[in-house]
Amino acid sequence: MAQGTSIQYEPVAEIGGGAYGTVYKARDMESGQFVALKSVRVQTDQEGLPISTVREVALLKRLEQFDHPNVVKLMDVCATQRTDQETKVTLVFEHVDQDLKTYLERVPAPGLSPDRIKDLMRQLLCGLAFLHSNRVMHRDLKPENILVTSQGQVKLADFGLARIYSCHMALTPVVVTLWYRPPEVLLQSTYATPVDIWSTGCIFAEMFRRKPLFCGESEVDQLGKIFEVIGLPAEEEWPTDVTLSRKNFPPLFPRPITDFVPEINEQGAQLLLEMLTFDPLRRISALNALDHPYFQDEEKSQCNS
Amino acid sequence: MARTGLCDSKPLLDLHKKEKAEERRAPLRTWANAAGPKDRWQPPEGDEPKMAPAKMEPECRWDRRLLVSTSDDIIMGFHEDSRTHTAGTMLHITDGCPEEPLLLYPQGFPGLHSLQALVPGLLRHEVEIAMEKLGLIWDRSYAWDIFLDMMKNQFRSSFPNADLPRPFTDATRAVLVDWLVQVHELLHFQDETLYLAIHLLNRSLRQIKVSTVNLQLLGVVCLFLAGKKEECLLPEVSGLCFLMDNSYSRHQLLRMERKVLCGLKFDLSYCPPLHFLLLSASIARCSAKMVWMARYLLELALLEGQCVVFLPVQLAGAALCLARRVLQEPPTPEGEAAWCLASSIHVGSETALLKIMHILAGAAAKAHSRETCATFIKFSSPETMHVSSHPGLRNAPGLLGVPPLHT
Repeated sequence: MAQGTSIQYEPVAEIGGGAYGTVYKARDMESGQFVALKSVRVQTDQEGLPISTVREVALLKRLEQFDHPNVVKLMDVCATQRTDQETKVTLVFEHVDQDLKTYLERVPAPGLSPDRIKDLMRQLLCGLAFLHSNRVMHRDLKPENILVTSQGQVKLADFGLARIYSCHMALTPVVVTLWYRPPEVLLQSTYATPVDIWSTGCIFAEMFRRKPLFCGESEVDQLGKIFEVIGLPAEEEWPTDVTLSRKNFPPLFPRPITDFVPEINEQGAQLLLEMLTFDPLRRISALNALDHPYFQDEEKSQCNS
Repeated sequence: MARTGLCDSKPLLDLHKKEKAEERRAPLRTWANAAGPKDRWQPPEGDEPKMAPAKMEPECRWDRRLLVSTSDDIIMGFHEDSRTHTAGTMLHITDGCPEEPLLLYPQGFPGLHSLQALVPGLLRHEVEIAMEKLGLIWDRSYAWDIFLDMMKNQFRSSFPNADLPRPFTDATRAVLVDWLVQVHELLHFQDETLYLAIHLLNRSLRQIKVSTVNLQLLGVVCLFLAGKKEECLLPEVSGLCFLMDNSYSRHQLLRMERKVLCGLKFDLSYCPPLHFLLLSASIARCSAKMVWMARYLLELALLEGQCVVFLPVQLAGAALCLARRVLQEPPTPEGEAAWCLASSIHVGSETALLKIMHILAGAAAKAHSRETCATFIKFSSPETMHVSSHPGLRNAPGLLGVPPLHT
């Protein structure tokens, strides 16, 4: 209930500023469970809650019905009016203590085992395939919004919020990390679900390296770092609807991915390259990635053991 | 979405609709302000004496009669079809489907429940074609999954019982729904939007505390939210307030919008019975007139509070079965076979279907004389083939009351 939010959920701590507003850890007074409260302020003009917000939140609610194991649970939604022009929509999610960023930071010296990485990747792609098949793209996938439970279960968080937040975004001077952004977003070309696959590729590499793959400081710098690894794309691959010219970048040849991710096995390297494909249309899909030999191999060895 | 239908009939309907809305708006509001909705609701008296016995029958008689009627009605259909099949006249329909011989039991099916298991390939094929034809899907390879999803999700669309919280009765609800039907038409919304709006209303009435004074506001907000979910063009809030004689302010309407969204937890998903109806009708190769008749009967179900306990697929199936009974179109072997296949979606629901058919038959027989007659008027236009004034409807309960004797 709108008025009941503050009563039912007692804030315990602030857990991250986030690009889109403050996120609170709170206790659900009814169940005793911890929850994560995410509020977004939407402009409400004379016509009430924007259609986009109504549809997006309804879509998240619909996804909830499927109860996917690799997607964070949306437990409650409420809307409260703040002013005549502004309504606060609060989304109440299940709370998971750890994200992939802290998970990777806490891993002791030799890093994650190849099998552990494979398991995390499979779960991540399962969640992503589910979202994509329901026409939801994440758009801002990064280790901070991939949650890992104490049982090692991966749960995607913050998906589908991008569009709900977008009107709010323009008003806040936020720094959004560029490190997981695909070329088409950096170039401000059109984009769709392949954006999430690029980010997943970056995260895949990071699981081995335990540090990000491309750490650019600006859009152009980020693109330069990307081309240092995958090479400068051919002229015909360069999108035509962008202002930034291909000529601004030095002619670079692709370097072996194992130079950057030495611990990865052959099939893993293959999959990684298919995820870090410049052309979004030729980039592998989440569903096809799950069928990649990289994952089938593990099933065989599991059967044998 | 299935954009079949009413668009063409809009201008003509609106002419007398607007006028109708004018004269109806005031009473609802007056009534909303008055205390006793029951006093105001006057059941149409003295019409259709034939209706009385069917309606006044105690519940238990349903059960007794059901067995007879069910086997004579729905299962009977299969018997007939089976005979037709043995005559070997339906091969062209099932060409290339290995399951086809299984349809040819001369004595009917040993267990009807296994029908879906017996003809999955054929049914699936037909569902896929129908969904594509109706524009419910973009890519046929997903059609069956989407259909199964519809079948599964519809269980969230019905209610455990038909009870309404205290100040409200089925009669008050019907007056509101009737008014919303008119507003919906005035706004040129899609039919799906009406079904969603009434579903949101049914849920809101049970989940949100609303005073009698705000009932009309709640109805409009449900229609507005359904529009936000389904429509490209929306009316302005001030326009909606005007439709309610400015009895409520813009501010009140937007507050109600938040209240409904929070009360329903933003869950606006719904599988409209209309989709099941169009799907079944397409598989069953129904005539245009039959589809309009079924659509009319299905929309009448919106007015019947007792219908909320049934699944969308059952409501659609019952509307189609009843339309078939009323129209009595001369059977063809192809039509019967296609009907048999379409009916297989309802295997196991015969009891529910018959209950709904009785409700709809009763509603259709009285529709013209009721105060809540927006749907009756809507479906009496030439664009809808005058289905609501079909003479067979007056006697619709009679069609079901006496066990039919097929020869």
